[in-house]
Amino acid sequence: MLTQKEFFEKAGAGELQAVRCSRCGALAIPPRAFCPECSERAWQPAPLSGDGTITSYTVIRVAPRGFAGEVPYAIAAVHMKEGVSLLGRVVDIPFDKLKVGLAVRFRPLTRNGQTAVGFGPR
Amino acid sequence: MRKVALVGAGISKFGVRRASYRDLIWEAGKACFDSVAGIKPRDVEGLVVGSVMPERTAFQSHISSMAAEALGIKPSVLSARTEHMCASGTVGIRYAYAFIAAGLADLVMVLGVEKLNQPSSDEAILNMGTGVDREWEAAFGLTAPPCFALAAQRHMAEYGTTEEQLGLVGVKNHTHASKNPNAHFGKGATLEQVLGSRMIASPLRLFMCSPITDGAAAVIVASEERARALTDRPVWIRGTGQALDGFQLTSLHEDYAHWPALKRAADAAYTMAGVRPGDVDLAEVHDCFAIAEMIAYEELGFCKKGEAGAFVAAGRSDYGGDVVVNPRGGLIGCGHPLGATGVAQAAEVFVQLRGQAGPRQVADATIGLTHNNSGMGEHVVMIYGSEPA
Repeated sequence: MLTQKEFFEKAGAGELQAVRCSRCGALAIPPRAFCPECSERAWQPAPLSGDGTITSYTVIRVAPRGFAGEVPYAIAAVHMKEGVSLLGRVVDIPFDKLKVGLAVRFRPLTRNGQTAVGFGPR
Repeated sequence: MRKVALVGAGISKFGVRRASYRDLIWEAGKACFDSVAGIKPRDVEGLVVGSVMPERTAFQSHISSMAAEALGIKPSVLSARTEHMCASGTVGIRYAYAFIAAGLADLVMVLGVEKLNQPSSDEAILNMGTGVDREWEAAFGLTAPPCFALAAQRHMAEYGTTEEQLGLVGVKNHTHASKNPNAHFGKGATLEQVLGSRMIASPLRLFMCSPITDGAAAVIVASEERARALTDRPVWIRGTGQALDGFQLTSLHEDYAHWPALKRAADAAYTMAGVRPGDVDLAEVHDCFAIAEMIAYEELGFCKKGEAGAFVAAGRSDYGGDVVVNPRGGLIGCGHPLGATGVAQAAEVFVQLRGQAGPRQVADATIGLTHNNSGMGEHVVMIYGSEPA
């Protein structure tokens, strides 16, 4: 079992952790209590390489309170090499280079002590 | 199960309203009671209120009791609030349906209400962000428009859907709204205006998005015996389906151009109703963003997967086409006061199937469908008919 707190602590240190069901082998991220495939609760930590490719993206021009100073910013849906997908903020990639199929790598984003998922160039 | 029908419906004016949360409840409740002779508030046995975030926007919880008192209803069977983000109102109609079908109630009002506009617009947008996962999505600045922008970008990459085709959904729904005096927007829109409007989250521009809107809507749901005594034109609930694949977008490992939960919800509703997609005369679908309407065409079976762009471009989702989609103006034209939306869609189907929709009337409409999503992986579908199943 990997708690959300442990996940984000590890993510903040640059380590992206999925969990693997020790009964059926399903890989899951974000970590969760029950296996979505077989309903077992026997998870083993499964570190991910952090490498993936963009399956979709968008450039945000209108932001909620707290993010207005950051627009425009991009987010992407990323298919990880290990077969799961993850959403994250795009960093250090020019908007005109964004495309479906672009290779990216996990990059932690920590602001106000809270870590979120980001992706930068491979 | 017993047969169940709508016997009354009413909506408030939708828009940026100088009205309190309670004023909106009064307005829709009064319009609903005015629509059906022979029912007074004290006759109603139950009230279900769909509302998402009055705790944040009106500093008020305990909503169903507050609304019942405001409308002079004394529930004797059912009193509840439903919160399911953008599907809250329709989820409330399903509760009323189930109680009546099971024989636990005969007459229930379902009211949806939301007061979303705030003195500052960035707070209103922040509030909308409560509907996505705090730790996994909102934490890096994700709100609703970028979620659907991801679906749009994916649909464009996979099927060659164009910005112009997305824009045509905006044109159609703004144009429909211009014939609806209760809609947020009344001026219509040209393709040039839509494609020239400000970018919100690429490729979605302002006129392809639903605005931040205040509003309320109400319907009265009745058992067959009560319905036939109250009106000669009940609008029957023929089928309903709901299916969820997941809450977090990041947990949906299917690509975002495919919404399998919508197909499952629709199949359940079609089977229960005994109708096929080609039988639907009008559909009030959840066009929170233009792409959502387009993917709905596909998953509801109005066209093949990937062909939504050509479908809207050929006018097949407009008057004179295969099915009139969003005749009241949709969420893009009417606005999207979350809890009120599903109930307002039902109210539109109610007037359409009774032939009372005036300049918006879909000719000879006998089957109407409503759809809500509350995220790309969560869907609810209702099918109504002028005759019972």
